[in-house]
Amino acid sequence: MAKKKSDDVEPTAPAAANPRGILRAPVEVLYAEELEQLIKTDTHARPPGWRMSPRAVATYISGGKAGTMTITPKYIGFRRLVEIAISTLVTDRSLLLLGEPGTAKSWLSEHLAAAINGDSTKVVQGTAGTTEEQIRYTWNYAMLIAHGPSPEAMIKSPIFRAMESGSLARFEEITRCAAEVQDALISLLSEKRISVPELLTEVPAAKGFSIIATANTRDRGVNDMSAALKRRFNMVILPTPATLETEVDIVRKRVQELGTNLELKAAPPAEEAVTQIVTIFRELRAGQTLDGKNKLKVPSGVLSTAEAISVLANGMALAGHFGTGEVTAHDLAAGLQGAVVKDEEKDKVVWQEYLSNVLKKRGADWRPLFTACSEHNS
Amino acid sequence: MSAAGIHIFGVRHLSPGGAWHLRATLDAIRPKVVLIEGLTDADVLIPDLTRSGTKPPVAILAYTDAVPVRTLIYPLATYSPEYQALVWAKQNRARAEFIDLPSDIFLGLQDVELERFIREREKAATTAEPPTPAWRPEPERSIYERIAERCGESDYDSYWERRFEHNQSPDSYRAAAYALGEALRDETDTPVWRAENLVREAFMRRRIREVLDGGVKPEHVVVVVGAFHAPVLGPELPAMTDAELATLRRRSSKLTLMPYSYFKLSSQSGYGAGNRAPAYFEQVWEQMSAGKLDELPHRYLSEVVRQLRAAGTHRSTAEVIEGVRLARTLAALNDGAAPTLADLQDAAVTLVGHGDRSTVALALQHVNVGTAIGTLPKGVVRTSIQEDFDRLMSRLKLEKYQKTVAEELTLDLRENRHVKTQEAAFLDLNRSTFFHRLRVLGVDFAKPLSSGQQAATWAERWKVQWSPEGEIALVEAVLLGETVELATAFRFKQLLEAATGIDAASDIVRDACLCELAKSMDMARAKLQELAAQSSDLKAIAHAASRLSLVTRYGDVRKFDPSPLLPLIDELFVQGALALHAAAACDNQAAKVLVVAIDELNRISLEHHERVDGELWIERLRKLSDADDRNPLLSGYACAVLLERGLMATEDLAREVSRRLSPGIPADLGAGWFEGLSMRNRGALLARQPLWQELAGYVQSLDDDQFKRAIVFLRRAFGGFAPHQKRQICENLAEHWGVDADAAKEALANPLTEVEEQTLTDLNEFNFDDI
Repeated sequence: MAKKKSDDVEPTAPAAANPRGILRAPVEVLYAEELEQLIKTDTHARPPGWRMSPRAVATYISGGKAGTMTITPKYIGFRRLVEIAISTLVTDRSLLLLGEPGTAKSWLSEHLAAAINGDSTKVVQGTAGTTEEQIRYTWNYAMLIAHGPSPEAMIKSPIFRAMESGSLARFEEITRCAAEVQDALISLLSEKRISVPELLTEVPAAKGFSIIATANTRDRGVNDMSAALKRRFNMVILPTPATLETEVDIVRKRVQELGTNLELKAAPPAEEAVTQIVTIFRELRAGQTLDGKNKLKVPSGVLSTAEAISVLANGMALAGHFGTGEVTAHDLAAGLQGAVVKDEEKDKVVWQEYLSNVLKKRGADWRPLFTACSEHNS
Repeated sequence: MSAAGIHIFGVRHLSPGGAWHLRATLDAIRPKVVLIEGLTDADVLIPDLTRSGTKPPVAILAYTDAVPVRTLIYPLATYSPEYQALVWAKQNRARAEFIDLPSDIFLGLQDVELERFIREREKAATTAEPPTPAWRPEPERSIYERIAERCGESDYDSYWERRFEHNQSPDSYRAAAYALGEALRDETDTPVWRAENLVREAFMRRRIREVLDGGVKPEHVVVVVGAFHAPVLGPELPAMTDAELATLRRRSSKLTLMPYSYFKLSSQSGYGAGNRAPAYFEQVWEQMSAGKLDELPHRYLSEVVRQLRAAGTHRSTAEVIEGVRLARTLAALNDGAAPTLADLQDAAVTLVGHGDRSTVALALQHVNVGTAIGTLPKGVVRTSIQEDFDRLMSRLKLEKYQKTVAEELTLDLRENRHVKTQEAAFLDLNRSTFFHRLRVLGVDFAKPLSSGQQAATWAERWKVQWSPEGEIALVEAVLLGETVELATAFRFKQLLEAATGIDAASDIVRDACLCELAKSMDMARAKLQELAAQSSDLKAIAHAASRLSLVTRYGDVRKFDPSPLLPLIDELFVQGALALHAAAACDNQAAKVLVVAIDELNRISLEHHERVDGELWIERLRKLSDADDRNPLLSGYACAVLLERGLMATEDLAREVSRRLSPGIPADLGAGWFEGLSMRNRGALLARQPLWQELAGYVQSLDDDQFKRAIVFLRRAFGGFAPHQKRQICENLAEHWGVDADAAKEALANPLTEVEEQTLTDLNEFNFDDI
C-alpha cells in the first residue's frame, strides 16, 4: 500500500493546510475549501446521492473556475477521460480504472469519491489475502457467541456501508484478489442488494451507490477478472503522462522531495539530466523516438514515471555517498541499466540497439550518458 | 435570411443536417431557380449528376490540360446539401445552376498561389512541406477551431455536430449558419484565403445579379453556399465587373465527373467539411430522412458490435445498451441533445472495447468510413489520369506502342550525350520511371523482362502491350489520384499500410526508388525502419539492408539522392550485428540461411565501411567465431570471414583448428566447423600449411566410428571445391601422411565403386541427431 501510493503521480500540493499530526489527510479534508465553493456555486442538477453536479465534479478534477475561485487541476491532461468516468457514475454503473503502475489511478478514484460524496475513505484494499468477508460483512465473534446474530454484532464492510448510505466505495487493486473474492462482487453489482441470511434479511443499495475499482494492467493474467464481472464495470484506461514537459515536471518535483526526505547528500540532478532520463524512458516505453521517426524495440520492464524517479534518486545517492556530490552520467547509467535490462538476454540487446542507433547520434550533450551506458552494458 | 428578396441558405459541405433542412426549405419556398456554390462551368455536368445511373459519392473534377497539372476536386455525397439541391431541382423542374468561379480561373488562382508559395519558401529558405497539388477550396481549420474552443468543445466537428446536425427545429439551421458565417467573418484569417474568398464572393454576386437580370423574381431564387459566404451575397455589396474578371489569370481546363469513394472522402484532410466519417453521416442522413434520428446511437453501437462479432470477438447486447446510456450522459454533460460521433466513439471504446481503443479501432473505422464507392453511367467519365497518361505517352514517344500487339523495348537508362535537350537525354530513364509507375498502379501496359546481370543497373527490357483491361485499370486509378504520379504515390501509401513484413517494405522502398517518388520512398523507409525495429529476424534484416544498399547504387543512374537511406542501413546493420549471436544458436538447416545473411552484412560493412559500425561487426564475428555453444558451421563461417579480412593470424587459425578438431570433440561438430570455415576464400586456405597439418593430425586421431561420422561432413565440406583445388588438398595432406601424392590423386580421380557409393549413402542417411 505504501509503495503503491508513492508510485502515484500526484500533481501540485494541496492549497489547504494539513491538519497537524496526520501524515496524510484524506483529500476531502485537504481540498475542503474548493469543494465547498464548488457546491455553493453549482447551478446544475445533482444526481441522487451526489453532493454536486457532474459538471462541478469535472471542474474539481480537471481544474477551472468556481465563482471567483480558481480550482486547481487534480488530474492533468485527459479531460475527456474524466468526463467518461463521471458519466459512468451518473449512469449507476461501476467504474474500473485501469493503467500501468504510476498512472494516478488511486489518486483519481480518491478525488472522484471526495467530490461526489465528500468521503473517500470507504476503501477495500485488494490483496492476495483479501477475503469475501472484507467485501460483505463479518461478525464481532464475542457478541455473536454471547447473543447470537444481531445487527449490533455485525461488522459491515466499506462496501456494505456504501450501499446503505448510497455513496461510493473504492476497491483498490481489484485484480490482486483471488477470483472467488472478485466474484462476490458480481451479485452486489447486478442485484444492487446484499443478503444477510443470518438475520433473515436483505439490504438494498440506496440510490447513488457505486464502486470505483482500480487495477494494474501489469497484473494482467495474475487474477484476471471474469467476463461476468468485467461486464458490470465501465473500463477507463489511464495513459501515462501525455507530454515530455508534464512528465519532466512530475519527475523533477518528486526527485527533489525524495532527496530532502531521504537526506541524500547530493545536489538534485541538473534539469538536463532529468530531461534526458525522462526522454529515454518515454522513448523506450512508447517504442519510438520522441520525433516519431524511429521505431524501437520495447524492453520487458515497466519503465513507469516512478522508475524514472528512482533512477534519478539512486543517482543522487551514489553521487552523495561515493562520488563528488554532483550527479554524473556514471551515477545515472548504473540505475538505467538496472531499470531497462530486466531480462538479461533480450533486454541487453534492446538497450544496446537503442544506445547505438539513437543515443549515439544525439550529439555532444548526450555523449557522456551514452559512453557511461555503453560501458555498463558491455 | 433573404437579401433583397432572394433566399440565401448557408450550409456546411457534406452536412446531412444541412441537406435535410435545405430540402424542407426548398419544399416551403418552391423556388424556380436554385443557385449552388460550385464551378460555374460545371453546369453542363448537372444532368449527368442527377441521372438515374449516377450513385454518389461522385466528384466533379477540374484539371488543366497542360503541364504542370493542377486539379480541383469537388466531392458530393448523397447527404451533401448541394447534391440534394440538385436532386430537388430536377424533381421539381426548377433550374439549377452553379455560381462559383469557373474552373479555369480557379486553377489559375492555384498557379498564382503556388508561385507565391515557392517564392516565399525560397525567401525563407526553410524546409517547409511543399503543397500538395490536390488543392482545397477551404481555408485551414484554425479559425474554426477557435470558434469551437469558445463554445467549450474540443474540436470543430463536435461543435458543429452538436449545434447544427442534431437541431431539427424548423429554420434553425439556416439562422444558425448565417450567424456562424458572420462570426467567422469577424475572425482574423490567413490573408490569402481571405483575399481568395473575396474574389469568389464578388463573382457569385455577379452571377446572382445575372440571374436576376434575366427576369427571375428574387423571391423565386434560393442560393446554396457555404455558411462563410452566406452573409455577403446580397445586392448591397458590389458585384465583380467585366474589367475585374478579365484581370484574373486563367488556365485552360477540362471538367469531368469521376466516381469517388468514402475512403477517399475521409482521407482528405484540410477540407473544412464533416467528412471524416462519411458512412456515419450517411447514417445520420438516412435516420433523419426517416424521422428516426433518436435511433442513431443504438444503430451505431449495434453495428460496431456486429462488426466485432463478425471478426470473432463476442460482445453482448447489454454492452450496447450501457454504451447508449453512457453516450447520452456524455452528451448531456456538454449540453447536447443527442450524442455526437465523439461521444459514440468514446462509449464504444469504454463499453465495447473494455477501455481499450485498439479492440474496436477496426470496427469503428468500418462503421465511420465504410467502403462505398460511387458509380457513374458509361461514357460520362473522361478522367484527368487518362489525359495525363496520353500526354506522357506522347512526351515519351511511346504512342506507337499503344496497340494490342506486344513489342519488346530495351531501355538504356544512362544519359544520352549525343542529343541536345535534357528531355531527350533522359528519354529512356523517364520511360522506365513511367513504366514502373504503371506497374505499381496495376495498369497492365508494360511488363518487365529480366535483363542480363551485368547491365542490371542501367539496362531494362520491357514487353509493351496495350489492352482494354489496362484502360479500365487506368480509369479506376483516378480514385487514387488525379495524375499517374499522384495515383502511384497514393498506391504506395496503401501498400505501405498493408505491409507487414520487412521484405515487403524493402521491396516498396526499391519500387518507390524505381518510380522516382522521393516522398513515397521516404515513407517506405520509415515503415521499413518501424518493422525492422520490432524484429530480430537476422535473415530479414540482413536482406533488407543489402536491398537498400543495392538501391543506393541506383542513385547515380536514376538521378535521385540516396542519402536518406544511408542512416537506415547503419541502423539495420547494428541490429543485424546484435542479433547475430542469438540467431546463431540454430540447427544446420537454419544455418544455411544465416550464412547468406552473414555474407550480406559483411558485404555492407565493406561497401559502407566509412559509415557503418565496422568495429561492432568484427567484435560480434569474433564472439561467434570463438563460441562453442553456437552452430559450429556458423562459427566456422565467422572464422572464415575474419580470415578473409586479414583479422586472424595463421598461428591463431592453427590454434583454433587444433582446438576445434581435437580428439574427443564429437566428429559432427568438428567437421561441421571445418565445413563452415571452408565455405569462403578457399585459395587462401589452401596456402596455409598449418591448417592442413592440423587437419591431417585430426583425421588420423579419429577411431573408426568417429571417422565414419566425420567423413560425411568432410566430404560435404570438400564437395564444393574445384578439381584442381581438390588435387592441391591431396598434395597437402599426402605430404603430411607420407603417401605418394600422385597415387592419391589418381585414386581420387577414379569414379566411386558401387560398394563405396552404397557405404556413403548409408552414412548420409545415418541419423547423427541421436548421438
